[in-house]
Amino acid sequence: MDKSPEKYHISFFVPTTARAKANRNMVLWLVSIWFIAIFGFQILLRVLEKPIPETTFSIFQSVWDNTISDSPGIVELQEFGKTTLSVLGKVAITDSERAVLDNALSWSLYQLTADSLKEDLVIKIQAFEKIKLEIQTISDPNYIKAKELLSAEYSPSLNLDPLDVRTTILPLELVSENIYKLTETARESVPSIMEKYLIHNQSFLTDTKFLGFPFHYFYTAIFLLVLFIGLCLIYCIKTDQMNSKLSIED
Amino acid sequence: MKKIYILTSLLVIPFLSHAASAASQLEGSFKVGPAIILISILVLFVMVGILFRAKDTTDFYAAGRGISKVGSGMAIASNWMSAASFLGMAALMYGTGYNGLAYVVGWTGGYVLLLILMAGQIRKYGKYTAADFIGDRYYSQSLRAVGAIIAILISISYCVGQFAGIGLMFKWVMGIDYTWAVIIGGSVVLCYTLISGMLGVTKNMQIQYVIIIISFLIPLFILSYKFDYFWLLPQIGYGSAVSDAISGIPLAETNQLVNSLGNSFAIVPVPEFAMPWDTATGKTFFQWVAIAFSLMIGTAGLPHVIQRFYVVPKASDARWSVVWGLFFICILYWSAPVYAAFGKLLSANPEVGQLSPDAIVVYTAQLGSVHPLIVGLLAAGGISAAFSTVSGLLVAGASAFSHDLYVKVINPDASPKRQLLFARLGTVLMAIIVTIIALFKLALIGQLVAVAFSLAGCTIFPLFLLGIWWSGSNKQGAIAGLIAGGTVSIIALSYFIAGKMGVSWPLHEFVDYWLGAWYFAWIGAPLAILANIIVSMLSKETPLEIRKFLIENVHS
Repeated sequence: MDKSPEKYHISFFVPTTARAKANRNMVLWLVSIWFIAIFGFQILLRVLEKPIPETTFSIFQSVWDNTISDSPGIVELQEFGKTTLSVLGKVAITDSERAVLDNALSWSLYQLTADSLKEDLVIKIQAFEKIKLEIQTISDPNYIKAKELLSAEYSPSLNLDPLDVRTTILPLELVSENIYKLTETARESVPSIMEKYLIHNQSFLTDTKFLGFPFHYFYTAIFLLVLFIGLCLIYCIKTDQMNSKLSIED
Repeated sequence: MKKIYILTSLLVIPFLSHAASAASQLEGSFKVGPAIILISILVLFVMVGILFRAKDTTDFYAAGRGISKVGSGMAIASNWMSAASFLGMAALMYGTGYNGLAYVVGWTGGYVLLLILMAGQIRKYGKYTAADFIGDRYYSQSLRAVGAIIAILISISYCVGQFAGIGLMFKWVMGIDYTWAVIIGGSVVLCYTLISGMLGVTKNMQIQYVIIIISFLIPLFILSYKFDYFWLLPQIGYGSAVSDAISGIPLAETNQLVNSLGNSFAIVPVPEFAMPWDTATGKTFFQWVAIAFSLMIGTAGLPHVIQRFYVVPKASDARWSVVWGLFFICILYWSAPVYAAFGKLLSANPEVGQLSPDAIVVYTAQLGSVHPLIVGLLAAGGISAAFSTVSGLLVAGASAFSHDLYVKVINPDASPKRQLLFARLGTVLMAIIVTIIALFKLALIGQLVAVAFSLAGCTIFPLFLLGIWWSGSNKQGAIAGLIAGGTVSIIALSYFIAGKMGVSWPLHEFVDYWLGAWYFAWIGAPLAILANIIVSMLSKETPLEIRKFLIENVHS
């Protein structure tokens, strides 16, 4: 800082005393570490990432064309139904996307059901829908019983393993409305919904595990906060040291 | 009319059919245990407020400058750990996965900037409020008034999120309507602030910190233990829960664990919860960076945060209080993602339906079958978090209203008694305005609070940064900076409000994305700094006495 009587002037980048210079250098170091640690890592994450599909997406891609053809195969319909369940089990999906996938799932199950049992399927779904609207809590015994019966009866149609978590989702997502057809909306939007939910940005930074975390998650959620405290600590200690060295009382 | 009915049916019926309703089951009616805990805590706050109540204006604004650095650190943490931290952060991570971590980083990383660029210097400058600093440093009564108005706007914006959090928790505890919950909760926090002022607030903040952190941590240990994760340090143990969310938990591996609704602890793979800027969340890399940056510079420009540095005796205490404050804050910020991870796993079954993300902390504890009294303590902790912040904000807003606007601009001869009266009047006015806005439920709590950060980042941060570190920054530069930052703020917020009102302005998609209401400071702040520098260099030099003061008092 320029302390001449006629021109007092202070600028962070142009220090004029040893103390100010030392402070500037320390601040620049700390800010650089701070900046690179936060944004440098995110940029690295962005540069390295690649869109990696879940296995479910590959299955979906392999069966979709056949599924929407005039004569879909049984295996294709089963796999398609299972892929819709994989997405329906994700908490994040919106109500409109859920409605589309519910239609796709219900339609695929309807297609897989023998003609003589199709009517029965619709009746059972409608009965369960009625129960859902009537119950006060989801602990209602009638509701639980109906849900379990529906799951037990129709999971095999989709070739779902009894220990597959999707068996618990199946009864909740069956809808009777438009069960006879895959709606135009569904035909148009199912591929994009699948792409949206089943492809993820991944790299070795996301795939490497550290203390149980995906590494990038640990770095951002845990390490950066430790670093911030560390940077603050260093600044305070160094500043106090500088002040005592120069006998500055503040 | 028919169209509206059909549209409403389409939107509502699928939701109802799914949620028969887990959410209402979790909400329940009036809860006696939690209500008793809540009332006891509130009574404690008011009693401490009365015991340490403000006796004069120095007490009211700056607690007599007698608070220790650890105590001040606790107060900083308590002041900081608002409903946005306690409830909102887990909500953001629950809803948007890795994108939510931008808030964790933004709300902690800003303290590094605050410390190394401002804390000690602000204390050395020796003013009571942010507007005081602006008025003196830029030798302008008009700028002081503008600074005061901005401080009030920031406080209001920040308070809205807090009142929303108070409303949600009062609603949960008392089983009453959200509107009444906001009105009742708001009235209680207003009474408390009026009784105590900053001295009571500071003392209370230390108590509130302890309550907040204990209530937040206990359920985490229980959840980690129950669901078989490393429970001795849940902040590390939940790493496996995040990995489980990514890979999915098969039914065969749940060890027959269920949530409180009876749903199995199994989940299909949800990598979108942890993968960066996943398309499923609708959030991008740019938004992550913009949010983190805006929150960080906003931290260094928030009047009620800056004001905390006036209450420590020395500049070195101001610096150390930041370190302590940040450490205390991080304890909560390491913990909030744990709720998001467990919330994701425990609410995975579609049967649970749509849960209000802002209440996910409490719902997670409930879904994990944590004892109702502990969940009650958690809800009371959430209310305490909102209370501690609101009281600090109302004091900062009242200070701006009474000290900066009324005394310094309108009536310099006002007696101390009259000043205090105006401070209290300002507090009441702000509380009424905030209550009304909070009733509209404009966004998530965390997002509402982030608006205040961007506003502070665009306006106050550049004035403090340049005002402290460059004597060349002058009145004209400050005005230019405020115009630049203010213009960006007005554009971003106008589009946001128009969007909420269902009005679609030209270029709304472009503005909504690049100048989102929670992160417009990414461009507003640099523009304000640039405008300040250019205009300052082109106009008359800063007066000698200001430059002299900077050298001899602030940087001595």
